[in-house]
Amino acid sequence: MRSTEELIASLTTGLQPVRRLKPPALRALGWILLATALIAVLVLLRGFRADIADCVRDPAFLIQLAGAWLTGMAATIAAFEVSLPDRARGWLLLPLPFAAFWLSGFAYGCLADWVAIPAGAPVVPDSVRCLETLVMASLPLGLVLWIMLRRARPLRPAATAWIGALAVAAFADTAHLLIHVVEASALVLVINLVPVTLILLLGGLLGRRSLAVAR
Amino acid sequence: MSREPSKDWAGLMAAAQDGDAKAYAALLSAITPYLRAVARRAGLESDEIEDGVQDILLTVHSIRQSYDPRRPFAPWLLAVARHRLIDRLRRRGRLRLRETELTAFHETFVADETNLPEENGEIRRLKKAIADLPPGQRQAVELLRLQELSLKEAAARSGQSPSALKVALHRALRRLRILMPRS
Repeated sequence: MRSTEELIASLTTGLQPVRRLKPPALRALGWILLATALIAVLVLLRGFRADIADCVRDPAFLIQLAGAWLTGMAATIAAFEVSLPDRARGWLLLPLPFAAFWLSGFAYGCLADWVAIPAGAPVVPDSVRCLETLVMASLPLGLVLWIMLRRARPLRPAATAWIGALAVAAFADTAHLLIHVVEASALVLVINLVPVTLILLLGGLLGRRSLAVAR
Repeated sequence: MSREPSKDWAGLMAAAQDGDAKAYAALLSAITPYLRAVARRAGLESDEIEDGVQDILLTVHSIRQSYDPRRPFAPWLLAVARHRLIDRLRRRGRLRLRETELTAFHETFVADETNLPEENGEIRRLKKAIADLPPGQRQAVELLRLQELSLKEAAARSGQSPSALKVALHRALRRLRILMPRS
């Protein structure tokens, strides 16, 4: 084992200046703007859902949409905060209240008014388009967020990855809610809640290893 | 006990982020005794403390871009230290769960005879004693005791009658008992 003095000497020789990280709130804002822009592009490409005029008058829909979007924003801020060593773990709780509104949308849709799949509905093509939207939103967002979070070399990689994955899943679902009409309750669960859960799991599991920078 | 974290650590770190090697060396040397005290208080044993401190210094080095000079330095350093020390204590806990430290009792010599039990004292003597038995008795011991054959099988194998084998075994065991008294 080398002595601590030798280690200090080796760390200080040839020291290069480093680019300081911007404050976490600012970095979160940057990513949120990017995510919002991406959602706008997706909506431009694919168009709003056909029943958007009815939806904006439906409080249940608005609560779910706002819940998803606010969950995404809160989770982003939390991810950038906990990626730093000296910030409180309590940031992880920030998205919880919004996530409750977001998830209540799924629960409400299924419990209050179970809509059966209409006979002859084009289930498979619709589902494929839904999944496409979710992938097109979550893949670039997840990648950019991963690169940004990795710059901080988080000492809490697992917590950072899970909360980051929540942010990606919530933004992807915001895009999905704006673009696709999913009436049937069973389909809401299968082509919306399940993929969103998968994004969360995949992001969390892949992220917690890859964010742990070897040192 | 630990020295009070100095106020100019933040300034030294900010200079280090800008590439000032001298300030960085001064900072790392200044925080080392503080980190030793933190490591000791966290419950590291004396032979682990230096390893723990070096671990923290390496981590400080690799994430130095994440320090914001507008915030105090000591809480940042302490948070880094705590993460690294907890990792180390967890790792130690896991190792202790499934590993046993070697003691003098476990130590053996490299030579084969200390590690192969059959080459060892008692067993070697027993083998020699069996080899020295008269041929009939030796065969009875080998078939009935060492190979654990039944009386019938042993009789078929050796061509002796079962009763002859029994007598031979009885005599062999009596002889071995005499040759190898219980210690």
